[in-house]
Amino acid sequence: MRVPIEVTVNGKAHRVEVDTRTVLADMIRDQLRLTGTHVGCGTGSCGACTVMLNGRTVKSCCILAPDVDGQEIMTIEGLADDPRHLHPIQEAFVVNHGLQCGYCTPGMVLSALQLLNENPHPAEAEIRRGIAGNLCRCTGYQFIVKSIEAAAAKMASKK
Amino acid sequence: MPVRRYDQPQSQGSALKYVGAEVTAVKSRKLVAGRGQYAGDIYLDGMLHVAFLRSPHAHARIRKIDTSEARAIPGVVHVLTAEEVNRDLGPLLYTIEPEGMGAKRAQLFALPPKKVRFVGEPVAVVAAHDKYTARKAADLIEVDYESLPAVVDCEAALEPGAELIEPEWSDNLLGSRDFRSGDPDRAFAEADGVVKGTVRTHRYLGTPIEPRAYVVNYDSFEGRLTFWASTQHPHQLRACLADTLGLPEASVRVIQADVGGAFGLKTPFYPDEALIAYLAYKLGRPIKWIEERAENFLAGGHAREERLHYEAAYRKDGSVTGLRVRIIADVGAQSTLQGCWMAYVTASCIPTVYKIPNCEIRLQVAVTNKCPWTAYRGFGKEAATFLMERLMDEVAAATGIDRAAVRLRNYIQPEDFPYHQVSGSILDSGNYPAAMTRLLKMLDYDRFESEREAARKQGRRIGIGIAHELMPEGCTLPSSLISGYDGCTIRVTPSGDIKVLTGVTSPGTGNETGIAQIVADTLGADLKRIFVVQGDTEICPFGLGNFSSRSILIGGAAAREAAVDIRAKMFKVASKMLEVMPADLDAEDGQIFVKDARSHAVSFADVTRAIYRESYGPHALDFEPGLEVTRYYRTPNVYHQPQLHPFGGFSAYPSWPYGLAGCVVEVDPETGAVKILRYCYVHDSGKIVNPLLAEGNLHGGFAQGIGGAMYENLAYDENGQLRTTTFYDYTIPTAVDLPHFEVEHQETLSPFNPLGCKGVGESGIGAPLSAICSAIENALPELKLQLRETPLTPNRVWGAIERARRAGNGKA
Repeated sequence: MRVPIEVTVNGKAHRVEVDTRTVLADMIRDQLRLTGTHVGCGTGSCGACTVMLNGRTVKSCCILAPDVDGQEIMTIEGLADDPRHLHPIQEAFVVNHGLQCGYCTPGMVLSALQLLNENPHPAEAEIRRGIAGNLCRCTGYQFIVKSIEAAAAKMASKK
Repeated sequence: MPVRRYDQPQSQGSALKYVGAEVTAVKSRKLVAGRGQYAGDIYLDGMLHVAFLRSPHAHARIRKIDTSEARAIPGVVHVLTAEEVNRDLGPLLYTIEPEGMGAKRAQLFALPPKKVRFVGEPVAVVAAHDKYTARKAADLIEVDYESLPAVVDCEAALEPGAELIEPEWSDNLLGSRDFRSGDPDRAFAEADGVVKGTVRTHRYLGTPIEPRAYVVNYDSFEGRLTFWASTQHPHQLRACLADTLGLPEASVRVIQADVGGAFGLKTPFYPDEALIAYLAYKLGRPIKWIEERAENFLAGGHAREERLHYEAAYRKDGSVTGLRVRIIADVGAQSTLQGCWMAYVTASCIPTVYKIPNCEIRLQVAVTNKCPWTAYRGFGKEAATFLMERLMDEVAAATGIDRAAVRLRNYIQPEDFPYHQVSGSILDSGNYPAAMTRLLKMLDYDRFESEREAARKQGRRIGIGIAHELMPEGCTLPSSLISGYDGCTIRVTPSGDIKVLTGVTSPGTGNETGIAQIVADTLGADLKRIFVVQGDTEICPFGLGNFSSRSILIGGAAAREAAVDIRAKMFKVASKMLEVMPADLDAEDGQIFVKDARSHAVSFADVTRAIYRESYGPHALDFEPGLEVTRYYRTPNVYHQPQLHPFGGFSAYPSWPYGLAGCVVEVDPETGAVKILRYCYVHDSGKIVNPLLAEGNLHGGFAQGIGGAMYENLAYDENGQLRTTTFYDYTIPTAVDLPHFEVEHQETLSPFNPLGCKGVGESGIGAPLSAICSAIENALPELKLQLRETPLTPNRVWGAIERARRAGNGKA
């Protein structure tokens, strides 16, 4: 069965028809073709599919698309659409080698964003807790932590 | 020693400006913005989606498959079973021919015609308009199985009368290998003491966050198959697909999409790859398949699970004089994957960094009813390291000599290189004592005893452990497409920009950045003008992709060879323009200048203008037009012909990087919980091209090594059912599970590589197994624990503590 829904994604209103079985991650990827949202497990464990729903991070592989009708989503593509003007978190990931293969990175960056929104000056342990829902197999997390520390410092100095 | 060394080229390139610098990875900007293009991100018109039906049995005969219900579902386009596919497809191609390793071959098909050999083996495939429909249809296929006894223990598998897994074989032994040196019997007879036991590595896997993913399209009018893949091996995959599908190899194009981690797991040849290519070919429709996580656990390829029975003869001074090892590897069901060769690597690495004159090493490789092994970072070396490090700790305990001192006593010394090990391996270079000294300083090792006692007075049990890993790289096997050569093409455009096309690929680690750095320095070019292209069989020179840390080691060397030729030609034209001899020229930042008069210079663009626009002009007329070179590099220090080997043997690895890990842990003896407080590592991979990327890579190695040592486990039950098929029960480390890593580099250049590189990619993953065991034992010295098995879960550690207490250890 298909149902129509209305969602705002990265500030843009969309009207889409979805199969009722479709999870949010698949709608974002397959229908809106925003492929920066990745799927790593389909069980809500790895966090590669993290997006912002009404300003809070969620794992989009575990939410049915019809359930977000009328709501607001931001994906990684909404954070920067010009390579010369990345978000400070993204810039810090590039400079500090906070990513390797990049598959977990969009989710990791959005979790970092949520963390810094709530806690602009996190300690290392708080950063590690803040990204504990996002699995990375390449980096051992150390340069991710360093990137988030650097981003926090940069964002604080701009305020 | 009559070992052929690489002739270190003289003045072949500019001064190193980028090599050794922390250049950020070229792809990061795109990936961090979510603009990567992974295979799953490719959408083609009319694309169908695939779902596999996989065996629920570890071992069973297939009596009958009924697909009628599945076919009846609207949206289902095709249901594929063995009967159909095996009419059209030949047996799957092995990228490593078993005969070349003295092992048995099983003829394997894309779908098993008669019986299934592990839970997760594909049995049927559905193509449908969307993945939900495909999944639903696959679940409605009815298979009538006749269950057979499952062989789940590798030693039982080798007993006479064991249930046979491969019907054409007379036993379950895939292959065996023996190495012997000196006189082990005499060494044991003359020893002051003998230690013996069994070390076990448990089964775990690479499990990249991006599962396997592919999109295939067959253009029937042109007769061309295009295969976008999350793979490490585009050219090998092309060979496999063409051979199995019966297509001309040159009509198949494999394009490596961005790869979301691989770690060895994305190496061909999976039956799944043949099946989706066949469906695209057969149906004339594009096919997409993204593996589900549970499928990755069931059928994506496993690793580890070896038993190493050992006995070692030692002298009172701590020197180990004799070693006997019997290895039994459980490689799961036979497959066309490359994993089973990891067991051979384990055997060929023993006794790692130690000089033990009398050795007897026996390997037996058993097939069982479990998921086949696929390549996984470490590639068997971690088991050799685990054994030797546990053994050194045991000799230390037996002699009362310090653990570091026992290692120093037994090390191969810097002047012994190139060193010939019992297996025929020739270790290229190293300085083990210096690395150990450095690690002990990092750890403040001498003061630890007092720290431990101080902590104990506060009721905290902390311990320190060390381990020395040996991680040979550049794997080169006979009769295979796993070899020690690779190609690189460099094209300089009319405007002086530089395109570098490589046969090596990146699994997401950033070697394209390192290769650009090497080319920039060899040419004296501006790094920003260099563009590296990888992973497309239609564009790139033939090459073997990414494995065994070869992308810089071999791919970087090939790029350097090509750049040396480009530089020579540009210098010839520039010498005409500047009216000096080519030998008087040097280059930097895209300027070619006279060494003694820097302002007397031409730019790369001036030279390429002369070559491309003024081909008949005074500066270019004497030379062949164009500015493009393809060169192949083949690493020395590999021997497949015993008559060429300096000692008459066989040697598969040219390069022998190593690392020393030291860790401090806290153990809660009441729960068995272990927390790593410090993790230090001294690393020697020869010349480091990009310290930032190399260190990032090492961190990942530590994380996977610690994950394997403490958290990850593929648990099979006695019926061959896999119990761990999600990230909830197969727990890879999160950010809170890992400590802050401290790393120091030591650079002992390889004499066998033009850059002195040895390969970084697998370093770090081997040492944690023993280092953490060692630290736990050290935290509770009164219990005299002997940890020989992983993972070091609280349950296992607590059990070991309880057994020791019950045995009366630790009583005053």
